[in-house]
Amino acid sequence: MATTTATITLSSADLLTDSLSLSATQTLYKAGTTTGVEEYDMGRVVVPAGGSPLILVDATAAGNDKAGKIYVANKNTDETNYVIISMNDTVIGRLYSGDWMFIPWSQVDVSADIEVKAPNEANAVEWVFFHEGKTFSAA
Amino acid sequence: MATTTATIGISSSDISDNSISISNVSTLTKAGSTTGLDKTSGLRRRTFTAVTIKDLINLDNYAEEQTITANKSAKVYIKNVGTASAEHVKVGIGNVAAGDSNDVEEIGRLYGGDWMFFPYNAAIAGTSNTANEDIYVIPSNTDSVTLEYMVIHE
Repeated sequence: MATTTATITLSSADLLTDSLSLSATQTLYKAGTTTGVEEYDMGRVVVPAGGSPLILVDATAAGNDKAGKIYVANKNTDETNYVIISMNDTVIGRLYSGDWMFIPWSQVDVSADIEVKAPNEANAVEWVFFHEGKTFSAA
Repeated sequence: MATTTATIGISSSDISDNSISISNVSTLTKAGSTTGLDKTSGLRRRTFTAVTIKDLINLDNYAEEQTITANKSAKVYIKNVGTASAEHVKVGIGNVAAGDSNDVEEIGRLYGGDWMFFPYNAAIAGTSNTANEDIYVIPSNTDSVTLEYMVIHE
C-alpha cells in the first residue's frame, strides 16, 4: 500500500487579536480502513471563458461512496478572475486566482461530477484526484 | 486588512514510481481584490452523538448581526478530530430544515483525522430561505464524534 499525506496550515498574525496557527495532517486511506489509496489522476486544463459548467473530474460508479480526495487550484494570477466549482449543479464556491481547495469526494452517484466554470476569462486549473478505483469507459 | 494564508502540502514517496510532492500557498483575499479576508467564525468545536442530519453552519443563524456574504470568497475548514478510521461524517451543502433529500448535496466523508478546506458559496435563497446553502453533517453512527471548523469570510 502507498502512504500519501496531506497537510494544511492556516496562519495569520492579524486576523484575530492572537496569532492564528493551525495545522492538520491526514493520511489518505481507502474508505473505512487504514490502507492507503493507491491510485490518482492529475491534470491541468485551461477552462474557457463563459458558457455552461464543464466536467473537471467525472464521477463513476466504482467511486460511489468511497474515500476519494480531490485537490483543485486556480493558477490564474489576475485577482479579479475566478472559477466556480460545483457538483450536481450545487455550487460549492469560487476559487479566485491562487486559491486552492481540498475535499473528500464520495461520488454519491455518477452525476456528482466535479464541475468548473470560468465566468469572466479563461483560467488555468490544476487538479489531483486520489481514489480507490474508477469505472473505465468501454473502448 | 488581515493577511491570512492557507498552505497545503501533499506528498507520497510510493504511490507511484516517482514521488509526488504538491505544495501551494493561498493568501485569503476578498472577492476580486488583493484585500485580505477580515472576518471569521473563529475555531469552533462540536460533538455529535446521533446518526441524524445536523447543520454545522446555518446561514440563518450564523452569528448575531453577522452574515457570510454570498457568492464571494469565503473559505471553510472542517476536521474530524476523531481517530476511528472506520467511522465517518458526511459533509454536504443544503438546507436541512427543508426536509427534502433533493435539497442536500453530499460532498464527501471525513473519516477520523480527515480535514477539508474549500471555498464556500454561502447563498441564502428560496422562499423563507428554504434553499439556503447551509453546511450539514451526518455522523455514520452513534459513537461520539467531534468536528472542529472555521469560516473565514467577508
